[in-house]
Amino acid sequence: MAQLLPVEIRETSGKRRNRRLRERGRIPAVLYGHGLESVSLAVPSEELAAVIRHGSRLVSLTGGVSESAFIRDLQWDTFGTHILHVDFTRISEHEVVEVRVGIELRGEAPGVREGGVVTQHIHEVEISCPASVIPERLEVNINHLKLTESISLAGLELPQGAKLLADDLEAIVVECVVPAELPEEAAEAAPGEPEVIGAKEKEEAAEAE
Amino acid sequence: MALMPKRVKHRKSQRGRIRGDASRGNRVVFGDFGLQTLQAGWISAQTLEAGRIAAQQYLRTEGRLYVRAFPHKPITSIPLETRMGKGKGEPEYWAAVVKPGTVLYEISGISEEAARMCFARLAHKMPVKVRFLRRRPV
Repeated sequence: MAQLLPVEIRETSGKRRNRRLRERGRIPAVLYGHGLESVSLAVPSEELAAVIRHGSRLVSLTGGVSESAFIRDLQWDTFGTHILHVDFTRISEHEVVEVRVGIELRGEAPGVREGGVVTQHIHEVEISCPASVIPERLEVNINHLKLTESISLAGLELPQGAKLLADDLEAIVVECVVPAELPEEAAEAAPGEPEVIGAKEKEEAAEAE
Repeated sequence: MALMPKRVKHRKSQRGRIRGDASRGNRVVFGDFGLQTLQAGWISAQTLEAGRIAAQQYLRTEGRLYVRAFPHKPITSIPLETRMGKGKGEPEYWAAVVKPGTVLYEISGISEEAARMCFARLAHKMPVKVRFLRRRPV
């Protein structure tokens, strides 16, 4: 179900005004799509953070505009702590959207007890599905993952009506492998200097002269 | 063994200046948790290796460690009690240039508690302030 998100119409633009907006606890946002005009919005940062934390993608905008929207893009600061900007696209409940969804491992692999290490190679995947059934995340049960076994993209459980948008369905999502041996410290003598590109040719040319 | 490039275009480089924050290499990509720098600086290959060993000794055979920084920059120095002049010194060590926000190490396959413990040991080795980082929601 879509979460409610109060928004205000934003009249101002530009980085200086948007910086002041963020200082007041509002995040600049934009709403576009369905061939209609785009609208500049401001969203309360705390409520937006709660929506993001919850993993919701579909929101019902209230206040300045009253529409269903899909969180298309999030812009974060360098440290990944604050959201700088949000892109919303207009959406109807039964519209099919393409969305990136995170993959989360569930359970404990028996292969770990045999001395293996669970390695997740793919952390997110793109799927297309109706907007009303966008999953927060795809859960992969690894309770049956024995040593040297793996789960591929084809083995993922998708919500009804969802389709994987991946070229290689045999790509490994998670596997239980034997850990690599710890490298012996200082086993090899430290090499001198790296090779300088083009130095050899220069030397040879100098010798020839 | 400390990291260094296999081939380089020039043996020595100028010091350069570190401006701004990291706009790439600032997200957890391979693992579940990461160690992010909060200051700019040079991290020598030996320091990166010391951090890797500290983490690996804590992890043993559990989980997996990813080193995200690489020492590309040759740092030169001149010997002690050398008179002025006679040109630039010889390459002494290799360093990774990091900006605030750079993710240095990542860990996967262990709990958050264990990852915090591991990175706490590793953080003592680092010459810059660092912080624990979780994978960002999609």
